[in-house]
Amino acid sequence: MFLTRSDYDRGVNTFSPEGRLFQVEYAIEAIKLGSTAIGIETSEGVVLAVEKRVTSSLLVADSIEKILEIDTHLGCAMSGLTADSRTLIDHARVEAQNHHFTYNERIPVESVTQAVCDLALRFGEGAEGEKSIMSRPFGVALLIAGCDERGPQLYHTDPSGTYVRYKAKAIGAGSEGAQTELQEEYFQTMTLNDGFKLALKVLKQVMEEKLNVSNIQVAAVTSQDGYHILSEEKLQSIVEQL
Amino acid sequence: MDMLATNPAVHPTSTAKQAAFSPYADHGGTNLAIAGADYCILASDTRQSSGYNINTRFAPKTFKLSDKSVLATAGCQPDCNMVVTRVKHSMKGYKYTHNKEMSTPAIAQMLSIMLYQKRFFPYYDFNILGGLDEEGKGCVFCYDAVGSYERVPCNAYGSASALIQPFLDNQVRNKNQQGKEKVTEFDPVARLSIDEAMRIVKDAFTSATERDIYTGDFLQIFIVTSAGVEEQLHPLKRD
Amino acid sequence: MVGKNCVAIASDTRLGAQAMTVDMNFPKIFPMTDHTMIGLAGLATDVLTLRDQFKYKVKMYHLKEDRVMAPRTLAHVVSSTLYEKRFGPYFVEPIVAGLDPRTHEPFICCTDTIGCIDFAKDFVVVGNATENLYGMCEGLWEPNLEPEDLFETISQALLNAVDRNALAGWGAVVHVITPERVITRNLKARCD
Repeated sequence: MFLTRSDYDRGVNTFSPEGRLFQVEYAIEAIKLGSTAIGIETSEGVVLAVEKRVTSSLLVADSIEKILEIDTHLGCAMSGLTADSRTLIDHARVEAQNHHFTYNERIPVESVTQAVCDLALRFGEGAEGEKSIMSRPFGVALLIAGCDERGPQLYHTDPSGTYVRYKAKAIGAGSEGAQTELQEEYFQTMTLNDGFKLALKVLKQVMEEKLNVSNIQVAAVTSQDGYHILSEEKLQSIVEQL
Repeated sequence: MDMLATNPAVHPTSTAKQAAFSPYADHGGTNLAIAGADYCILASDTRQSSGYNINTRFAPKTFKLSDKSVLATAGCQPDCNMVVTRVKHSMKGYKYTHNKEMSTPAIAQMLSIMLYQKRFFPYYDFNILGGLDEEGKGCVFCYDAVGSYERVPCNAYGSASALIQPFLDNQVRNKNQQGKEKVTEFDPVARLSIDEAMRIVKDAFTSATERDIYTGDFLQIFIVTSAGVEEQLHPLKRD
Repeated sequence: MVGKNCVAIASDTRLGAQAMTVDMNFPKIFPMTDHTMIGLAGLATDVLTLRDQFKYKVKMYHLKEDRVMAPRTLAHVVSSTLYEKRFGPYFVEPIVAGLDPRTHEPFICCTDTIGCIDFAKDFVVVGNATENLYGMCEGLWEPNLEPEDLFETISQALLNAVDRNALAGWGAVVHVITPERVITRNLKARCD
């Protein structure tokens, strides 16, 4: 696909004669290098699960954070250049708080996703009125999970600024295998616990290391409790159910 | 000869004058709102006056914003219109970005900010926002000119507010009536049916019209229920 | 307030200097004859002075004429007393309420600080919560109220009106004058 270097893959804002923006496509490729992240939407809430690559026994696993809170009713899992996600998540957090301040209500999940995607394309020289904040596309994909009056929702965003709602989605290195597995195993009437089990089962299959409570991170967003990271004990009990 | 005509010393009265600029006017009028268990009533008279003059006998100052919200304004008429226009504009923007109609409490918060943004050159406008909240309960929010707001069971604003407010305290909130159920904080008035509330509204306005010269001509009533907004027009005394 | 063969007169009991409350039990209504009372709202020193002056005039009338002064007569006494000080007025607005000593016909009126009389068939209000009181009275009053109903009406009107006025309240007193007797009741009110 990208075997030949082309003159058009240098400028971030230049289309190739075939109508492609190479830099954006390369950015999407960068995500496939990241650790796997999975999101599953159930009727009771949304599950987010990520693998943490604990590359050394000296590495403190707790210091790797790949699932973050956006607001009390919104969570976000990432894959790719996780450092890039800071800008996006900061923006999402500000948008969420602004919405709450202006309207005294929680921001809808789709709106916060749209806000993140608005930012994703602000690279390059910057259009009129808008200051450019990045010289290149963001190299990260997000799974945004949340609960609002429309119920639990899961959205996937990529560096092209496109967002799509999914019932279950995997991103990162193991995403292809994981997505196939999700497609086979997902069913409409899933409970939240079914969601946890499926997420870990899929994660276990695609992870290179052996899955244990310290090399994964799992969070849930429910209407009742909002966003919360699962405790190690809770994780342990799910792992034992596998 | 020409010299005489242009010499300022010959015309001692031709000095520069400064006209005072007064950006505010009071156009009178009264608004009232009552929040019921599953309805909300907003009422206003339609007289618009300047001092002892009546500008017009029919100048509505209460506006439907959506099927669930109505905004009543009183004070300086151009300021009122500006606020209503801006609120409607923002609601449209909100609908485009979030794909849903703005709820009444959301409008309430936004209006507060809109007013506070003009903290040092305020809109001379006293608003009552009424409608149904997300749970379908009646709600009334009343504001001062710079955006401080409160959710209340009932409220009267405008030139006859001093006449009507104690009457509402007594008849709607049962104030000073021993042994009767009290209406507290912002809870909608559960015990009042729409018909009873309408009777109180009409009584309040006929009473106010008797004594307040800025209130009269027509009474415009908006009834917000889950079925939508119903509008009624009743005559008031025109003297 | 006028009822059926009865009148009622009521006031709050606050005495204050601007925002500072000085006394919570300051009477403003004074009996003049068996069936007539006068209410004085305004500067406390003038209230006391005028109370004594009206009492003196009512008593002198009684001695000279050998008959009880009718409330309508008292109204004109009040009016002329105040108008005497047309250019240096007493800071007081009075209300006269009573029953005619012979016919028991109800009578109420109020005047401004220089004695311009306002006769009314229904109700009169003076003082610093007049707007609130007008709204309440217009809403609550109806013709031909019996003494107990008149009491309830005037009490509700007064209490709810003063609750919306920062400078009035702290208690209230109500008198209902009937041909047989005067019913006097002290009401508790919000003290804020």
